[in-house]
Amino acid sequence: MKQHEQVLFKNRSPGETAFLETYRKSGGYQGLEKALTKMSPEQVREEVKKSGLRGRGGAGFATGMKWSFFPADKPGEKYLVCNGDEMEPGTYKDREILMADPHQLVEGMIISAYALQIPVGVIFIRYAYEQCSRNLERAIAEAMEAGLLGKNILKSDFSFELHLHRSAGRYICGEETALLNSLEGVRANPRSKPPFPAQKGIFGKPTNVNNVETFANVQHIIAHGSAWFKNLAFTESGSGTKLYCLSGHLERPECFELPIGISLGAVIEEYGGGVWRGRRFKAALPGGASTPYLTAEHLGVGLDFDPIEKAGSRLGTGAVTVFDETTCMVAATLNLNRFFARESCGWCTPCRDGLPFINWLLEKIENGQGEMGDIDMLREQIRNINGRTFCALAMGAMGPMQSLVDLFEEEIIDHIKKRCCPLKT
Amino acid sequence: MPILTIDNQQIEVLKGTNVLEAAKGLGIVIPHFCYHEALGAVGACRLCAMNFVEGPVKGIQMACMIEAKDEMVITTTDQASQEMRARVIEWLMMYHPHDCPVCDEGGECQLQDMTIAGGHDIRRYGGKKRTYSNQDLGPFICHEMNRCIQCYRCVRTYQDYCGGTDFGVLGTNQRVYFGRFRDGRLESPFSGNIVDACPTGVFTDRTFRYRTRYWDIEEAPSVCPHCSLGCAVIPGGRFRELQRVRGGVNKQTNGFFICDRARFGGGYGNHPERPRVPRVDGAQTTWPEALRALRKRITDLVARHGPGAVAFLGSPRASLEANYLLDSWAASLGSRRIAFDSHWQHDRSARVAAGKLGPRAASLEDIRCSDFILMIGVDPLNEAPMLALAVRQAVRRGVRLAVIDPRPVTLPCAAAHLPLAPEALPDVLEALAGGDIRRLGRREAVLLEGILEQLRAAERPVLIGGPDLLGAAGIERLLDTARLLASEHRPCKVMTVLAGPNSFGCGVLARQGPDFEAILNGMLAGEIKALVCLESDPMTGSSDPARTGMALGKLELLAALDYLPTAAAHHAHLFLPTTAVPESAGVYVNNEGRMLLFSSAMDPGTPISVSGGGDHPPRTFLPATPGSEPRPAWATLGHLQGRRLSLRDIRQAIEMEHPNFAGLSSLTTGGEGKRIADISPPPETAPEIPFPHSEGEGTLRLYAMEDFAGSGELAGYASALAPLRPTPFVMLGALDAKQRSLSDGQQVRLRSELGGVGVALRVVPDLPAGIALVPRLRGTALESYVPGRGHYDCQILSEDEEKT
Repeated sequence: MKQHEQVLFKNRSPGETAFLETYRKSGGYQGLEKALTKMSPEQVREEVKKSGLRGRGGAGFATGMKWSFFPADKPGEKYLVCNGDEMEPGTYKDREILMADPHQLVEGMIISAYALQIPVGVIFIRYAYEQCSRNLERAIAEAMEAGLLGKNILKSDFSFELHLHRSAGRYICGEETALLNSLEGVRANPRSKPPFPAQKGIFGKPTNVNNVETFANVQHIIAHGSAWFKNLAFTESGSGTKLYCLSGHLERPECFELPIGISLGAVIEEYGGGVWRGRRFKAALPGGASTPYLTAEHLGVGLDFDPIEKAGSRLGTGAVTVFDETTCMVAATLNLNRFFARESCGWCTPCRDGLPFINWLLEKIENGQGEMGDIDMLREQIRNINGRTFCALAMGAMGPMQSLVDLFEEEIIDHIKKRCCPLKT
Repeated sequence: MPILTIDNQQIEVLKGTNVLEAAKGLGIVIPHFCYHEALGAVGACRLCAMNFVEGPVKGIQMACMIEAKDEMVITTTDQASQEMRARVIEWLMMYHPHDCPVCDEGGECQLQDMTIAGGHDIRRYGGKKRTYSNQDLGPFICHEMNRCIQCYRCVRTYQDYCGGTDFGVLGTNQRVYFGRFRDGRLESPFSGNIVDACPTGVFTDRTFRYRTRYWDIEEAPSVCPHCSLGCAVIPGGRFRELQRVRGGVNKQTNGFFICDRARFGGGYGNHPERPRVPRVDGAQTTWPEALRALRKRITDLVARHGPGAVAFLGSPRASLEANYLLDSWAASLGSRRIAFDSHWQHDRSARVAAGKLGPRAASLEDIRCSDFILMIGVDPLNEAPMLALAVRQAVRRGVRLAVIDPRPVTLPCAAAHLPLAPEALPDVLEALAGGDIRRLGRREAVLLEGILEQLRAAERPVLIGGPDLLGAAGIERLLDTARLLASEHRPCKVMTVLAGPNSFGCGVLARQGPDFEAILNGMLAGEIKALVCLESDPMTGSSDPARTGMALGKLELLAALDYLPTAAAHHAHLFLPTTAVPESAGVYVNNEGRMLLFSSAMDPGTPISVSGGGDHPPRTFLPATPGSEPRPAWATLGHLQGRRLSLRDIRQAIEMEHPNFAGLSSLTTGGEGKRIADISPPPETAPEIPFPHSEGEGTLRLYAMEDFAGSGELAGYASALAPLRPTPFVMLGALDAKQRSLSDGQQVRLRSELGGVGVALRVVPDLPAGIALVPRLRGTALESYVPGRGHYDCQILSEDEEKT
């Protein structure tokens, strides 16, 4: 197992959380100091833009670009929101950051707030992450105590208050506009875009939303420069490291910080310890439950945004879930779809009722009652759900679904012809 | 204005129009559920899919969510968009119970229509159906959640539009539930609107349950007679019974929705005691007999005592045509003694509004579009409920609302409430109109300054006032204020809430004529020997029922034309039955002076009831429908004058005689109506009218106020509204209650010049000191307390004190 430079996991040690003292020793809050004393907000934004940092929450939108839409120079009520509602199945990277080194998020948010000239921030955190919340509460208190947060940070003119909000716990709360509704105390239904949060966010005020890992990278970019950050990546197009959380049929399903662009095969073999029980690899979800499957032919694909997209899937959150040769892909996809159907907010029809329709179809096929016409019906359902819903939840659900019918059609036909699941023992 | 192409046809639409509406303009109706003109587009149902071929957006899009833009080319007939619509319907119908045969919505169900239009026929889904349990939502609305297609219209109507808080969305995914936290009556006074808003049979009118199929009900566009706003309603009758009322559309008045009083209060015409047969001296008789008797007695009286011996009383709930004919009958007899409202302040207020409102009259639409609202002496939820909803729409847009009123004015929206005693209101109006603000207390002056500042800064401010506390003098001053605040570039509109659906029309007809007070004095002095009441009951309508009763007792002839079993109808020597509003056609002039046409939905007749007493089938066969004697008042009044007139003739005559009613005969049903032409020159100012209340000293001053379901004359006869009527109560300020050692909820004794009565006490924290309030509740001991009469001196005692 080759060791790569650790940025976000620098202070990670089993069973321990690094707080202010340790964090400072490892160079913590130097980025903030640099930003506040030597850089203008515009320079900070420019540096982040140059770094090529792309959002780590799943969509992979360029952070610098997102920030450029934000009315940073306009005075008034504005909000900075951290999306810590990590509920994508297979994803636990934000938890690892917050368990190991929570100050990274706090510092990243302060610098980002400075860059975007935002006076108030909120960390929206998954309800199940209670220990992470406590770590953050302590980190925020420590930062306040040390004059790193609150009024006149490091004796500068810049002030920033940071709040922590525990989510009520629905997958849809991770959708950025549903998150804003949830923060406002109304039902977590997504909002129609435009207007985008940068124009009208919480309480109708400009709001910038980024993921935990995205924020955590910001101070490293500021402290060490965008060129350094870009060089961390394996690929030309990528930049920085990425937290890959491995799960599924692997010998070592853990979270690793690796240069972005490392190949799927390398991650599985070198870090994941290979497919478990000596079995062969069948498929993997490269970036969480809402990304299409990759198969053995894609093992050489670099785990970076653009290469994966070329291979027909998405990097998503970088949560790699591996399925061994004994896995029934119909059952696995049904399991995923049940999750999405359950987590639908119930606002729009294709998601609310279309996903349960697909559940019924897949259950029928898996139980050996499928008919050949069901495959067409499945395709027709996917066709009319994909891109036709109010938000991206159902579109995510259609990721693995589409790749099921594209890559594993034979397996579905096998189910129908044998009138049972061929892989069930 | 963008021009776009839909299905090879071009259309130009207003900027901001969505593509679904644009298509509608071409006659292309694409199935949709969640979109509603009043509720807006939310993109939830995903049914209105169209294929955008050219333009700024491409591919399958939801037409309601896309603003029409130039150069858009859209098709609705391509395979992809048709398939999408068929699939959405299929999804919506996955769990539907297919219970159309037992569903009240059947036949007028949008889901039925859209299912066919969407192209979904046979259910392919073979899984288990999701089922819900239903809730008991009270006496007005049935709940049948299994039929729900989650269009969210109900909650958008109930919560967003109407401001209700006890009903909403619960749960997530395919188990979202539209209901209350627990069973119970829907609390909003606009709850019935979810029946109209629901595209299928989830929410149906319980009072109409299992009564009639849509294709069997007789409906016609009408106007609600319960208050002065003139909301469009659609009454529906069958088996000679008014069975339901639903909301009509008039964008200038109610918009799309109506209040529960309008919806569930239509049953006054079905009242079991409704007098349906002409009567002379207590004995039923035929129409020719009764008409002959009335004519003869009046001729005799005129011959014996002169024309002044006969007086007439019109009515704000009678049509303009009937009131006009009453007026012309009086004129033809030579009598000048005609009034149109027995309530003195209401009558005077209507005349002031009719004479002076002019182009400054605000419609409900003006209020919805306003940018600052000041309400003074008006309690919309009780006096004119849809006004509260119009105000809410403005407040939802961020408009500020100031309320100056001693009453606890409850509203479905946020408001800054300044509770001032009634006697302070003239000073407030004075100050608003540029007078001395220092006459008010310091705190009040500061608050009023703030209000004035916002009034001056606003671009479309609206002032709203009502006659009960302001009286005609206050209404007049409110109009002066608006005139002073308005400039050439900035209008300042006013809405005056009046007493009845035709108060404004009566105000125009009344002109400089006498008021009922003068007629009352004439009756008491014995100069007036006869009174003809057109659809009005002075016994309960006047501000002094006791004195009126005495005066009526002195008459030689009391004649009444009515469709309600009123006290006057009961005591009349001569009674002629008239048709109720849903059974007749006519014109009402609403409180802004808008002429609104209503048409007849059904013929009068005694509602069919199942007797089961062995008399079915009938053994005697009648040539006419039982109970069908009532005739339109205008027809009877024409007949009495020996004229055979059609409504058209009457309207033309009105137009000739009163030029402000120009356009009356060209009104169409179901339209927005037409504002009357402003009177010019305005009538000379009425004699100095005092405010309806006296000095601020003395004992506890009791004011009567309107109640949503308990005060209105028509509402009093609508049995379905019974659950909404409160038990008698009196309201007292916290300090006054404390001084008397009384506490909230306690049973107390209310004593005034009208006698003593036991009522429950409600302590209202910010009620001004020295003031007590009672709702006028018909059929209870509080019936004789008349709003708009001024104050009654009263005492409130605990029951123990009463004993000692």
